[in-house]
Amino acid sequence: MPEEKSLLRLVVTKGILGAVIAVVVFVAAKLMHFPPVFQIMFMLYVLLGTIVYILLDAPALPSFTGAKAIAALVAFYALVSGAFIAGANVLPQYDPSVEKGKIDKIVKPKLAMTEKGKVDELLKRSEELNARSQAIMKRLETIGGAEVKSIAASTGSTGGAAAAKSAGGGGDLIALGKDQYELQECYNCHKIGGKGSVKKRGPILDNIGNLMKPEELKEKLLNPRAWMAEGFDKEYAKKLMPDKYKELMADQEVDALIAYLSSLKDTSVETPKPIKK
Amino acid sequence: MEHRNSHPREMRRSERVWAYAALLVMLVLVLAAPLGLAMAQEAPAGAAVEYRDVPGIGSRNLIWIVAQQHLLLAGFVLGVPIFAWVCEIVGVRTKDPRYDKLAKEFTKLLTSAYATTALFGGILLFLLIGLYPKLMNYLTDVFFPSFLVYSALFLLETATLYLYWYGWDAMQGRKKGMHLFLGFLLNVFALFIMIVPNSWATFQTSPVVITESSMWAKAWAATWNPTWWPLNVHRLIANVVLGGFLCGAYAGLKYLMTTSQEERVHYDWMGYVGNFIGVFGMLPLPFAGYWLMREVYQYNQQMGITLMGGFLSWLFILQAMLIGILFLGANYYFWLGIMYRIPGSEPKYRRPILIMLVILLVCLGIWMTPHSLVASLEEARKMGGTHHPLLGVFGVMSAKMTVANLMILVTFMSFIMYWRAGKQETAAWAKAAKAVMGVILGLAAIVIVVLGVWGYFVPAITRIDKFSTTQVLIVLFVLLTVTPLTGLLMKSAKTTTEMVWGVMPARAGYALVLNAVMVILLMTLMGYARSSSRVHWHIYGVMQDTSPYAYSPALGYAAAFMSLNTFLFCLMVAFIFWVASLGGEKKPQQKETRVPVVGAGPVPVVRQ
Repeated sequence: MPEEKSLLRLVVTKGILGAVIAVVVFVAAKLMHFPPVFQIMFMLYVLLGTIVYILLDAPALPSFTGAKAIAALVAFYALVSGAFIAGANVLPQYDPSVEKGKIDKIVKPKLAMTEKGKVDELLKRSEELNARSQAIMKRLETIGGAEVKSIAASTGSTGGAAAAKSAGGGGDLIALGKDQYELQECYNCHKIGGKGSVKKRGPILDNIGNLMKPEELKEKLLNPRAWMAEGFDKEYAKKLMPDKYKELMADQEVDALIAYLSSLKDTSVETPKPIKK
Repeated sequence: MEHRNSHPREMRRSERVWAYAALLVMLVLVLAAPLGLAMAQEAPAGAAVEYRDVPGIGSRNLIWIVAQQHLLLAGFVLGVPIFAWVCEIVGVRTKDPRYDKLAKEFTKLLTSAYATTALFGGILLFLLIGLYPKLMNYLTDVFFPSFLVYSALFLLETATLYLYWYGWDAMQGRKKGMHLFLGFLLNVFALFIMIVPNSWATFQTSPVVITESSMWAKAWAATWNPTWWPLNVHRLIANVVLGGFLCGAYAGLKYLMTTSQEERVHYDWMGYVGNFIGVFGMLPLPFAGYWLMREVYQYNQQMGITLMGGFLSWLFILQAMLIGILFLGANYYFWLGIMYRIPGSEPKYRRPILIMLVILLVCLGIWMTPHSLVASLEEARKMGGTHHPLLGVFGVMSAKMTVANLMILVTFMSFIMYWRAGKQETAAWAKAAKAVMGVILGLAAIVIVVLGVWGYFVPAITRIDKFSTTQVLIVLFVLLTVTPLTGLLMKSAKTTTEMVWGVMPARAGYALVLNAVMVILLMTLMGYARSSSRVHWHIYGVMQDTSPYAYSPALGYAAAFMSLNTFLFCLMVAFIFWVASLGGEKKPQQKETRVPVVGAGPVPVVRQ
């Protein structure tokens, strides 16, 4: 058993040594232009090492019994889980509302297009019609025949308005394409206007509209192996674009995305040259 | 070292407080669920219900808690039999009765843990049927035959467990072989009990096309999905790790609480064995995780990107932190063992310990370095872009695989150092053997680093398929050559310092508890990752989640939930341990002054 040293002596001797190393590491990191978060992290690693080293020789802990013992263990757990939760909160946070918005845009229209969606819609409409016809019957019974004409007219006008509303879709194709870019999470690998992936998984797209024709862009989207970007061709096996868009996206969605990509013509941003494979 | 005398009842009282606290929390949980459900909104009569909700806590959160508890308990229940069976075999081979006692003690824990696991499985099933009927209808339609198989396996497992436990004393001596065979059967059934539900979970992640065919053919096709076997292997190893570290934590707690020197000796040794099994299980775990992730990428790149490059990517930094602390904790425990159990060996190993600590910290730092940074414009300008020349290099998989392998090697070294401490090799070939081992270790470390650096200059597919695999094989080679070589050396070695059990400081017990907590937190974290990778799909690409909880919770929020789940599981395990201790054999009255302290150092037994 090693000779027991006082905690104060340990903290003073090893702690000072640890503090000196931490400062050296901090200054070195600063001189090498590491971002502040890493300057701090490096110091924390040294601190962690110092604590472990002090704990190797630390004297025995004070004794606890009964409820105090339980409190000590719970406090120990609270410390560990507190550090864990704090660590998780310090990291960049994903905003669930973003996904909620995407779900609304992707899931609901697709659900409406499925057989079940159609059945649900028909059921909903039939329930509405049923409720309305019951209301009409009630009013007919109480008011009498003179009202029938006006009720029929009002029902007809409501239906007409709804039809007009549904027919009035459309909108800007490029804006829809930008929406698709966000919904399909292209930003996980690509960057436009300085925003998006910083992992260099896929090429920057700011000037892609000048480098590829719409039909070429479409070919790339539906068959990712057909085109590769300069600098990304060597490691294409890993960095290959997902080949799911053919199945995932409807024709209109593909067209909208291509329209958006074709509109990207910022020559000031260096965009890797596409290579036909 | 501080300790004070008090009455034996003191210790029982602390155990009772533990048990009551655990029981109270469980009661609140069990009562809260039906109360919440009673308030849940009901669908109009006749309409097909797709989801039900639980006001307040929410259906997703309730399922999250119950499923996590079930899964952790299941991990324990499936990991411990492996642990117990191996200990029993070692006991038979070495004729050391301590191993048989240890195996029996853990099997005793199994009986109460098994019932609790089944209870939570039942609660989970009822909640899933009630809260997610649409999903459960679909899964039942696909997997009904495997439900039957699962039930049959449960019957077999239960019967085998009863025979294994209750027949322990009856099947000693000549019948020991029969008992070992029962242990083997127990593990075989346990393995199948794990892999059958794994097929349901992995089908949700990586479903395959199911053609209209017979019920059995459909179930089999769905079972054999791309991530099924990677998850089976990953969970099998993880269960051994969980079982090992939980047993270590159990021993650590007992060690902290007992005042009898005899028990301290026993629980010190038990803690060592638990930590040893946990560490050895942990060594191949990163490779299994790597294989699983590789399969995910191959199945669906988008899912792989969501995990590793999308919104879930930051959780891998958290994972690195937990694994790093776990490695530090496991090594720290070995180092304490060298310093306290083997008197006089401390000066010899002080420097290697410091070197290993530094290597571990550097590896942790590299593992925790993200590939991309959230840098301000000014910082980015200073660095010449968002990729710092060094950080960009350390942030990629090549660096992370390299440091993971190095950390494994360092941990292995700690163990070898511990093994050799206090012994003097007497074999004539000892010098040559030690030189060979040194060369193997040194070369292995160099080749691992070289392959890691080389990995930057080759296509990713070469790095993944060839370099990473070679790194893994090198580590395995080191493990498989140095271990038997050291074993042979130690066989003829002269013991210069006897190993003293029961003298470890209290912080060794806390280190064992910390390791167990880290493993549980890791399991909850990776469960969140696996589940969130499906994004808004119940079954990826097949059945969309249209409930109000289709979105993934943010990492900070999820971490709080993981922490809660870990706490609840620890309470439950404490309760199980306590229940198991009630059924223990009554000890003969000891005329000893027992000192009921937690956190005290070695306690001398004062005989009256």
